[in-house]
Amino acid sequence: MADGKSILVDVSRCTGCRGCQVACKQWNGLPGTRTKQTGTYQNPPDFSHQTFKVVRFADGKDKDGKPYWHFFSDMCRHCMNPPCLAGAQGDEMIHDEATGAVVYTEGTSKSDFEMSLSVCPYDIPRQDPDTKVMYKCTMCFDRITSGLPPACVLSCPTGAMVFGERDAMLAEARRRVDILKKTWPKAQALNADDVRVIFIVTDDPLKYHKYAAGV
Amino acid sequence: MRRRQFLKMSCVLGAGVALCGLGVDLVPIEAWAEEIKKIDRLKSARQTTSVCCYCSVGCGLICATDEKTGKIINIEGDPEHPVSEGSLCAKGAGMFQTTEANEHRLTKVLYRAPNSDRWEEKSWDWAIDRIARLMKEERDKSFITRNAAGQVVNRLETLAHMGSSNLDNEECWSITAWARSLGLVYIDHQARV
Repeated sequence: MADGKSILVDVSRCTGCRGCQVACKQWNGLPGTRTKQTGTYQNPPDFSHQTFKVVRFADGKDKDGKPYWHFFSDMCRHCMNPPCLAGAQGDEMIHDEATGAVVYTEGTSKSDFEMSLSVCPYDIPRQDPDTKVMYKCTMCFDRITSGLPPACVLSCPTGAMVFGERDAMLAEARRRVDILKKTWPKAQALNADDVRVIFIVTDDPLKYHKYAAGV
Repeated sequence: MRRRQFLKMSCVLGAGVALCGLGVDLVPIEAWAEEIKKIDRLKSARQTTSVCCYCSVGCGLICATDEKTGKIINIEGDPEHPVSEGSLCAKGAGMFQTTEANEHRLTKVLYRAPNSDRWEEKSWDWAIDRIARLMKEERDKSFITRNAAGQVVNRLETLAHMGSSNLDNEECWSITAWARSLGLVYIDHQARV
């Protein structure tokens, strides 16, 4: 197998427009979820069995009193060695050889959801309360195996998200981090060797989201 | 034959031909559409390019129309479009919701009376007559021809127009022109909200 595919998410370019979030819902035919105003633009507040992509909004003040407002377009990282697959018995999950995408099937209704969630460093899987089927981002498996980019990547107006061969994405990540470091010394690509969805952040990952860099 | 009649006629003809081609019973077609995966239907769908209606950026869209049902099954960014290269913001990315596939779209006029807590279904004729009546009464009563300095201003300060974020660029233009022609000065829409 070649090195498969990767998605690069450079949050320094993200404007928090949430086009990716809507594109994900639209392509996957997922309904809106009833939510409440929580005082942030982040909505829905978290993943669900009907929400595979959430742009997380984090704001606060640095030690020097300077305010920050970070956007983090959170999604499944499609790990190189997915811990959620470790307990899989049969056909409940697919780790596709050609692309590297980790895809859950309806067979996950028989999986131990609590276990899958607890081993995920990024707090990704969610369960349908009625059918017990587990859901998360599929890397748009149907699209990428038909020559189309994932819906979220296609929609990104600023080029914060890029999809392509893993080698090329790793090289692009290095190139972008080198450039960003000049302005933001903390710029880094999060766990680039372990995951296929590589986030580039310009600040302490914990400031974006609790699980931005994994547990 | 006027153009509208011709269009109506050709629609009827078109629908007739489509029905003959597919057989009268439409149920199997719907079943077909349900069974086949979206990506496979997309591959055989007719693709039509369009432009996002919302803002003046003018991002490109591809509308995919199912070859058998004749319904739009997907709308996404057009990667070959010189302006947007396939990208869409949250509004454009949700364009598919403006199609008839969206079950939440209103198809009837809903009216909530003052102080009422419920919506009532009304006809378009009733709603348009009522809006026109209230607007005319208010305009006749409060129209300002001249300001305190005696200058001609021809404005109406007691009515405001609030548009919708689902209005497209051209609709916004027409509504603004219409509202100004009545003398309205408070004109806004909630796209920023």
